[in-house]
Amino acid sequence: MPIKKRGTGLTAVADAWQLADIDVSASYPIRPYTAVMAELAKRIANGTMKCEMVHGEGEHAQFSIAHGASMAGARATTGTSGVGVTYAFETYSPIAGSRCPIQALIGDRTLDPPGDFGSEHTDCLTLRDNGWIYGWAQDAQEALDNSLMYFRIGEDPEIMLPQIVAMDGYFVTHIAQDYEMPDQEQVDKFLPKFNPKFRLDVNNPVIMGPQIEPEMGPPLEWDRHVVMNKVKGKIVEVTEEFGKIFGRKYAPFVEEYMTEDADMVYVLQGAHAVTCRSAIKYLREAGYKIGMCRIRWFRPFPDEALAQILPKFKVAGVVDTGTSYGAPCGGGVLSTEVKAAMSEVPGKPIIQSFTSGLGGETITHEEFFAMAEMMKQTLAAGKIIQSGTWVNFNDYHEGASQINAAKTEAAPSK
Amino acid sequence: MAKVYKQVPFAAIVPSPQTENEGMVTGNWRFLRPVVDKGQCTECKTCYIYCPDACVNWAKDDGISFNLKYCKGCGICSNVCPVGAIARVPELDFDE
Ligand code: SF4
Ligand code: SF4
Repeated sequence: MPIKKRGTGLTAVADAWQLADIDVSASYPIRPYTAVMAELAKRIANGTMKCEMVHGEGEHAQFSIAHGASMAGARATTGTSGVGVTYAFETYSPIAGSRCPIQALIGDRTLDPPGDFGSEHTDCLTLRDNGWIYGWAQDAQEALDNSLMYFRIGEDPEIMLPQIVAMDGYFVTHIAQDYEMPDQEQVDKFLPKFNPKFRLDVNNPVIMGPQIEPEMGPPLEWDRHVVMNKVKGKIVEVTEEFGKIFGRKYAPFVEEYMTEDADMVYVLQGAHAVTCRSAIKYLREAGYKIGMCRIRWFRPFPDEALAQILPKFKVAGVVDTGTSYGAPCGGGVLSTEVKAAMSEVPGKPIIQSFTSGLGGETITHEEFFAMAEMMKQTLAAGKIIQSGTWVNFNDYHEGASQINAAKTEAAPSK
Repeated sequence: MAKVYKQVPFAAIVPSPQTENEGMVTGNWRFLRPVVDKGQCTECKTCYIYCPDACVNWAKDDGISFNLKYCKGCGICSNVCPVGAIARVPELDFDE
């Protein structure tokens, strides 16, 4: 029987790892990731969980340990946050290139300097070009569920790719919420034991990661490119099967909220979707025809799904909770990606970039209202009025904020 | 003309152990080649242990030799040799 629990995104992932019967976990403390290693250590110490826990002397070592463990055939996990993500950078491409399906948990945290413990997606977005599959969980339940689905997809013999279960630091990693921990039998049915075709084995020795000639490089890169595209089909398949076994149905790529008659939508990923939904309820009462599209996968990027969904709307406001200084159109990484994905799509909406929620700031209702107002003005004008808006900072916001201050006061008390 | 790429097995994983693997010959990136003076060499095999690319061979009758198909010319072997038996000679001094 599944158990109802109260915990954080990190205990939820520890539960997923326990259910997945991981063999090795490599650790190194950094907030907000740390609690998952503490949780695992506790479970190993009290005998609930059997798993080899290895402490690295830093994140680079940590990911290398998981890499080696995976090569030896172990289901291996690790994780980090913020500058820990960037410190381990050298290891990402080799892990993906040697097709080791390790799983990492990344609890997002702002990159230094100075030390800012708040959440932001920038850390995890920096490794988008390294061949890992990943997406953001909006809450603890989804973190647990994603972890199980990611193992299943990444370890598929046709895929063999590492995965990142990304989640907003603090908002998901640390806020206690109710979630359901599935039954061991259900998990065993869904997730078979990891059994790679190649592993380091004294009885059947192989060389992994040898030096190659330049002429051998492109075919290997091509393999990685092809497999990334294959992941999309696998996501659809696995998400559906997950729903059947565990009873929780997820949209494979993009979750739509109140979009039926909407002419404007927020496009975002991660935990701020929760606030966004409640903001939409107020906005609907105030007469805004607005909805939300929450992106569940970042790599591979769901361009086909967006191409199908977004042309229904007139304006799409992409909310970036990360930065890419000097990026085109004044937006962040997510809006750049959405714009690229939509560039050749006929009937695409006007795509507007918003940056908000940096440094662990909550995106408030008022900020969502302000974005809605800006989208409404874009809709009326039929064109972007300001390319790349930092909500709360840009001048353009001032007018909108006055309008919205009035609106907030008048907002229905729900 | 279409480019000719070399097909590589899944994730470049190849059988082992082999003293050399024809599928994985690396290009000649050297500009200095290790040359051992067998008169000085004590056959301590320090170079054999240290070569990061496993290019140092040792045979009972023949002593130390280098597999130049894989040698990068990094000079580690020459640095670690306790008796200074390995010289680093410019590649251009050789015909082949
Ligand atoms: S030069 Fe470097 S690669 Fe060549 S044999 Fe010596 S240690 Fe090995
Ligand atoms: S390290 Fe020097 S002395 Fe020892 S085996 Fe190599 S060449 Fe000979």
